[in-house]
Amino acid sequence: MAQEPRVGVFVCSCGTNIGGVVNVQEVVEYAKTIPHVVHADHNLYTCSEAGLVVIKESVKKHNLNRVVVASCTPRTHEPLFRAACKEAGLNPYLFEMANIREHDSWVHPHESQKATQKAKDIVRMAVAKAALLEPQTEPEVEVKGSSLVVGAGVAGMTAALSMANQGFKVNLIEKEKEPGGMAQHLYKLYPTLADASEVIKPLVEGVKSHKNIELAISTTLKEVSGYVGNFNTILTGPEGDRELNVGTIVVAPGSSNYTPPKGLYEYGLSDHVITQREFDEKLRKGEIGEPERIVMIQCVGARKGEIRPSELEAFPKSDTAELLRKILKARKDEGWPYCSRICCMNAIKNAILIKERSPKTDVVVLFGDLRVYKEYEDFYRKARDLEVRFIRHIEEARPEVIQTSEGKLQVVAYDALYGMEVNFPTEWVVLSTPLIPSKDEIMLARMLKIPIATDGFLMEAHLKLRPVDTNVDGVFIAGTISGPKDVSESIISGEAAAARASILMGNGKVKTEAITAVVDEEQCIGCELCEEICPYGAPRIEEGKSKIREILCRGCGSCAAECPKRAITMRHYRDDQILAQVKALLIPEGSKEVVQ
Amino acid sequence: MVEEKLEEGRLGVGFEPLIVAYCCNWCSYAGADLAGTSRFEYPTNIRIVRIMCTGRMDMTLVLEALRMGADGVLIAGCHPGDCHYHKGNFMMEKRFDYLKEAVKNVGIEPERVRLEWVSASEGGKWAALVREMVEEIRQLGPSPFRRLQIPKKTDAMIDAFKSQRLRWVVGRSQIKVEIDEGKYRQTVNAIMHDETERHMITGALKGKGPLTAEELAHLTGLQPRRIVQHLIALRRDGKVNEAGEKNSQYLYQLI
Repeated sequence: MAQEPRVGVFVCSCGTNIGGVVNVQEVVEYAKTIPHVVHADHNLYTCSEAGLVVIKESVKKHNLNRVVVASCTPRTHEPLFRAACKEAGLNPYLFEMANIREHDSWVHPHESQKATQKAKDIVRMAVAKAALLEPQTEPEVEVKGSSLVVGAGVAGMTAALSMANQGFKVNLIEKEKEPGGMAQHLYKLYPTLADASEVIKPLVEGVKSHKNIELAISTTLKEVSGYVGNFNTILTGPEGDRELNVGTIVVAPGSSNYTPPKGLYEYGLSDHVITQREFDEKLRKGEIGEPERIVMIQCVGARKGEIRPSELEAFPKSDTAELLRKILKARKDEGWPYCSRICCMNAIKNAILIKERSPKTDVVVLFGDLRVYKEYEDFYRKARDLEVRFIRHIEEARPEVIQTSEGKLQVVAYDALYGMEVNFPTEWVVLSTPLIPSKDEIMLARMLKIPIATDGFLMEAHLKLRPVDTNVDGVFIAGTISGPKDVSESIISGEAAAARASILMGNGKVKTEAITAVVDEEQCIGCELCEEICPYGAPRIEEGKSKIREILCRGCGSCAAECPKRAITMRHYRDDQILAQVKALLIPEGSKEVVQ
Repeated sequence: MVEEKLEEGRLGVGFEPLIVAYCCNWCSYAGADLAGTSRFEYPTNIRIVRIMCTGRMDMTLVLEALRMGADGVLIAGCHPGDCHYHKGNFMMEKRFDYLKEAVKNVGIEPERVRLEWVSASEGGKWAALVREMVEEIRQLGPSPFRRLQIPKKTDAMIDAFKSQRLRWVVGRSQIKVEIDEGKYRQTVNAIMHDETERHMITGALKGKGPLTAEELAHLTGLQPRRIVQHLIALRRDGKVNEAGEKNSQYLYQLI
């Protein structure tokens, strides 16, 4: 016989994040009146060390057998509180969270009273579920000590080397004929002005010669199945398809460079209107010479308002990949809404390179906002000292490029500082264009089930807290697949992804889903429906009864929802546990049952 | 407080809709989280119940929530193709047609039940959706169930969705069936009606049996001819049998 539930409720102020809107004390007092609650308290920060100690001590002091924390989203903090419960001797699954921050105080900042009422409802619902919770165990699975790295750019090569140096077997695949990625097309890197080739050389040599790395060029990922610790992949290369079994996956396919549509700033109509990337190439080849003037235009195709709702409209009928395809198409002519982060420094770098070679050349940089951060401020000052002219235009009046009948170029801009139009006859116009999501991403996102953010890049598991994790266990992202990065940032993300993957591979095992399906064999009639609908092949009919192989079950619950005999229940998400929350909301105990 | 809310609601004065939202953990719950992180404001009328996947949504979970007086039920999951478990959302989508039919049948406006796709990156969409749904339901007024207008067949309908026969045909529609989809849906709906009526009969027998067909017709409001058809089927399935006679008519009881 199960114990009588003794629930402890801990309401968090989260500084002023919750406490500034919700009357936390009132919620605590209310919680004390909810059936099964034997203790309620509030903390300034429940997730702080002190807050966790309070939970652990209260469990012992009040002999709690269930814990409810009313604070933020379980998607980030549930593991922390579960661990605290475990330390206090409680099974971690006897814990329930009431999300009164993301789903309450943060979305109702101007409705304090209603938000407080809502918080009470949410707490009451969480307590109702908590009272019905049961202990669960997480089965362990082995993690193979091998990784697949998709993309041999700076980030991918860094990740591969990092994991290989730790002794893990790495398969590095690259769709091009050579490893190196976007960096091999660059000339000099800011702020050191080192040759990009010098920087990537050790990486390329490393991945080619490392005994733990198997590099496969002209190879792409075709299919993925399996789960963390044991992914089955199919790779397509020059010699056809082959299977590969790995423990983790690092996705680092990079991004592309925005190409302006023909005619924008005379791009494509004049050989002397080029992008920074093309300019890089010309600098490397020494094709620029000593011109009288060069004009650079910033934010070409970047920071162009929002992705319009109409682009997202078709979303309900389509999928992620389809959406990205649509966005890519629509954005081709209009540019992208975000700041690409690297273009300002890149323009400054190229301006300095010109000035150092040809001090007499007048270098003009036209910008809306110039964004230089960290030590790059010094880099910007250096350019100023070299007399590079930075001229701010206002956003409403973007510069105009005119090609005269003799083929001469002229840039007209509105100087915001002087409040007047300025006119620059020039030999070269260089357009700073953003890094944009690549088409390869479509396939990868699709295959790996990683969501795409509305800017078109792959989405991290958490923007701040888990920047290289994805929502797929065992799959990590590195490099510009999650947004524009320069070389050093790509290296950082490559190292980070490798470190995250290595934790799994180093441990050699990982705890998996406790929330799995259970069959009541008495009820089961062996109809095989569960076997047919399960996407993971977890149920198998043996001797006329369904048996769920727990290691394969991912806990979606589709079988439970469809079982004709209702013989399948989902651990931690049983019908009665779900409905207890609804009942607590609509017909709470103690209220007159209005619905008859 | 809740009582007060319901009382007021019943009169339609200062009506504040109360909506239950079943959100899948991976997309829509995260989308609602993002609405919070992005500080997108929306009305306070929604309460989220976290589930792992919309594939988990047993239809009875929706019907029970309505039965308990929810003014609306929102089911929110990943966009087609994005399901964390590959196809849970497609399975929910399949069920949704039947669910709409069931809801209509017990006198609830189908607009009160919605199935929407909200991804983890669509905080703005989540906020807009809640705003829109709250407004729509505010226009509709309190759920008829809140106003104590619960048709007798509501509980029978819920029981029907727990019954093997109806669950079997709904479940089969999740896998490839060789029958024309429209025809299949008609069959499922017919079985839904059948099973609901049969559960009305067994419900009446449970509470007041043994009863004659005439008495059953009176109690359930169904046509005597339908009652007899169902009694034959229920007898065949071993669920009822005769228990003597009354006014030269057979009395029926539950087995």
